[in-house]
Amino acid sequence: MRKRLRVWLGVALLAALGTTAVVAGTAGAAHSAAAPTVTILYGTAPDFLDPQEAYTTQGAEADWVSYTGLYAYAHKNGAAGGVVIPGLATGAPKITNGGKTYTMTLRKGLKYSNGAAVKASDFAYSIERAIKLNWGGSSFYTSYIVGADEYSKGTATTISGIKSNDATRTITITLLSPYGAFENILAFPSSAFVPTGTAMTNLSNTPPPGVGPYMITNVVPNQSWVGAINPFYAKEAIPGIPVAKVTVDAKVESNTTTETEDVLSNTADMFDTGDTIAPALLAQIKTNAPHRFSTIPVVQNFYFFLNTQTKPFDNQLVREAVTMAIDRNALSRLDGGNLIPGCYFLPIGMIGHPTKPCPYGNPATSPTAATLTKAESLIAKAGDTGAAVTVWSETRSPRQQFATYYASVLTALGFNVTLKVLADHSYFPTIGTLSLNAQTGFADWNQDFPNPGDFYLLLDKNSIQPTNNQNFSQVNDPKIQNAITKLDAIPASQLKQHAADWQALDYYTAQKAYDLVYGYQTWPKFVSTRINYKALVVSTLYGWDWDSIQLAK
Amino acid sequence: MATPPIRAELEFAVESISRPDAELPAGTGPYKLAWRRLRRNYVALAFGALFLLIVIMCLLAPVYSADIAHVGPDVQNITEVLHYGGKATDVVGLTGIPTGPTWHSQFFLGADTSGRDLAVRLLYGGRNSLEIGAVATLITMILATVLGTVAGYFRGPVDGLLTRFFELLWAYPALLLGIALGVSLQVGGLSLGLFTLQAGSLMVPAVIIGVVYIPYVGKPIRAQVVTLREREFIDAARQQGLGPVRIMVGEILPNLASTIIVFVPLILANSILLEAGLSYLGAGVQAPSPSWGTMISDGIRLIPAAIHLTLVPGIMLVLAVLGINVFGDGVRDALDPRSQVRVGR
Repeated sequence: MRKRLRVWLGVALLAALGTTAVVAGTAGAAHSAAAPTVTILYGTAPDFLDPQEAYTTQGAEADWVSYTGLYAYAHKNGAAGGVVIPGLATGAPKITNGGKTYTMTLRKGLKYSNGAAVKASDFAYSIERAIKLNWGGSSFYTSYIVGADEYSKGTATTISGIKSNDATRTITITLLSPYGAFENILAFPSSAFVPTGTAMTNLSNTPPPGVGPYMITNVVPNQSWVGAINPFYAKEAIPGIPVAKVTVDAKVESNTTTETEDVLSNTADMFDTGDTIAPALLAQIKTNAPHRFSTIPVVQNFYFFLNTQTKPFDNQLVREAVTMAIDRNALSRLDGGNLIPGCYFLPIGMIGHPTKPCPYGNPATSPTAATLTKAESLIAKAGDTGAAVTVWSETRSPRQQFATYYASVLTALGFNVTLKVLADHSYFPTIGTLSLNAQTGFADWNQDFPNPGDFYLLLDKNSIQPTNNQNFSQVNDPKIQNAITKLDAIPASQLKQHAADWQALDYYTAQKAYDLVYGYQTWPKFVSTRINYKALVVSTLYGWDWDSIQLAK
Repeated sequence: MATPPIRAELEFAVESISRPDAELPAGTGPYKLAWRRLRRNYVALAFGALFLLIVIMCLLAPVYSADIAHVGPDVQNITEVLHYGGKATDVVGLTGIPTGPTWHSQFFLGADTSGRDLAVRLLYGGRNSLEIGAVATLITMILATVLGTVAGYFRGPVDGLLTRFFELLWAYPALLLGIALGVSLQVGGLSLGLFTLQAGSLMVPAVIIGVVYIPYVGKPIRAQVVTLREREFIDAARQQGLGPVRIMVGEILPNLASTIIVFVPLILANSILLEAGLSYLGAGVQAPSPSWGTMISDGIRLIPAAIHLTLVPGIMLVLAVLGINVFGDGVRDALDPRSQVRVGR
């Protein structure tokens, strides 16, 4: 009996193994018949992949196709990509109460990437989570939504200005004051829905489920992550947000030359739009791969922040001096010619970019010896010659080169300079920690939405926060505050009519030299021969539009 | 007919015993013998001279910078235009490509991506790399000798504790340990009571490298001390009432001298290499201070268009490490402990 039992057990085991092999084989076959994979290289890892934390282009690029909010941006090239379209909402919001009440209805039958049903009440939870996690733009919520500030301070357990009804799928948001760009705020990936009960901690290593063409999986911190196709999205396919066609294998490659070489040789398919083409290879690309290369002007500025709350940059004379002493042509060369010299905080292409000459000299011409002498005398007049200054930078090229050059200019002006270079992924969280009180360093800003108010978040005193602070200069200027309050209320449809007001404000900001703006960026659109170049969409807000990626035929 | 050598030595020995007050001929010490052997090793001497030449060149960096190149190591001339041979050349072109060697006093070896004179930075970088290597070697040798001697002499729990410490350091890959420590000290520096290192100081990588290599020297020294402590002369010293410290310093340490001397060039070479590696990865010398490692790192992305940026510091690094390594091999061969002391005639 024992021997027979052993025989039967052996047969059963073999059968189980065989079945497993067949199932695995079938799954493997199904997997291999699934979407092709494209490789995208990133010169720096995202700050976060959690949608309610991410605030760099690398993080936002993955999040905006994996997490959809009530509203989203059109998946189109150029300025058309800045138009807000309904996301999880059925249509445009009903705006009442003098522009202070927004009412929307959630689409029916929506599912997260884990199959769970989306509820209207998830919206309030998502916004609470973004505030709790100190998302870098959370002042957009706390400054405008009724009860959000109380929630952030801990005096309320929910945001009183957000009401929802799961049965009728309606969501009502009440604002403290009208805010013309509020639909843009609702289109942030941070405003996207996550299930109620999602942990109020950073989940970048295991991103929560969301609604979108993709879901982020297989995260190896600071090394790689995968954009897998969301199996539940095809059925709900929101108009204007295409279904994904490829799996994205994202990897960090800190060397821009390697990135460029890999795409040129088709070892990789694309690299981060925020990384520059290696200058050494530009001529080769233009000669050998002109059909898969172009440059795109983007609404992004590069600047050195000047901490107005600490010496020596608390003195306007010093800020003026360093602003006039910088050679923006030199900085452009360090960027391989991809930087357009400039001085205004609102970049070219943004409504409100001033057209007047720069207050401290033409950015297209190098400063003269007389200018440098004048700068030194201003610093001496301020009594700050020899002051200790720490310049902060990240390691990624050409940002470190920008900061190194800037440090050399400050040294030439008589300051006692120390340069501190931090790993890219920790740079902005570090300088955004208020207690560090960073004096000056590299910063940049790419538009979140086509409204000058987005850039003026960085100069708004209400956005100064203990961690993830984005107002690195800690600007607290009543004139700017009053202007922001007035101009932010203007609806997006009337923005152009108030361009002159924004221009006047930006000219004032340049005169005060709160930030040392030195130029505006262009992005390379360069891909491997595998990719259908014409079908590819580059969002000027978030970079590559993953759901537009398809293989060339 | 000449007296056979062995018989002559026997006769001498007999004579010495019968006439104890007679003056004995001078012997040849082990270090003199070693020097004789080293002098005959022309390859080792040549590479030693090469290393010395590199050191001298680097020490003269301020002279070269002031009197020949007329520019400092951190001065950036990004938009300057050079005029040589009737031709105008941008120091850094519009697309960010720096000029190559001009073979003139200014920008002799070309410029880097930030418009700095490559030759000047090469020499100043060498000073930094060699300084860090030397300080790290000093730290390693002192700490390893002390800890290895104490461990080997006392044995027991002391030896157990120190050996575990060596093994802990040894187990951690040197480069990873160096990166971890370097990155963590970048922002705040190091403060241990009275001992403070500013973040960005050259001493930060020197201390890190010095600590990392302790077990590489400490373990062999400990092993040698374990053998030495069983020798008769140590017993004799104990019998005479000498304490452990006097025995370690007076009796054991002199016998470790040749081992220590052999290790110095080896550790120096490895320290210079590790410093280059750490600096390349951003965990060693911090910008804008030059070092051969940072210079290689800066030039990597422009290899196709400006290979001089990586080639020049790379070659200097290879020559320096090769020089000290080959010379160190010569020193080790010269100090072969199996050599016998012979009475001269």
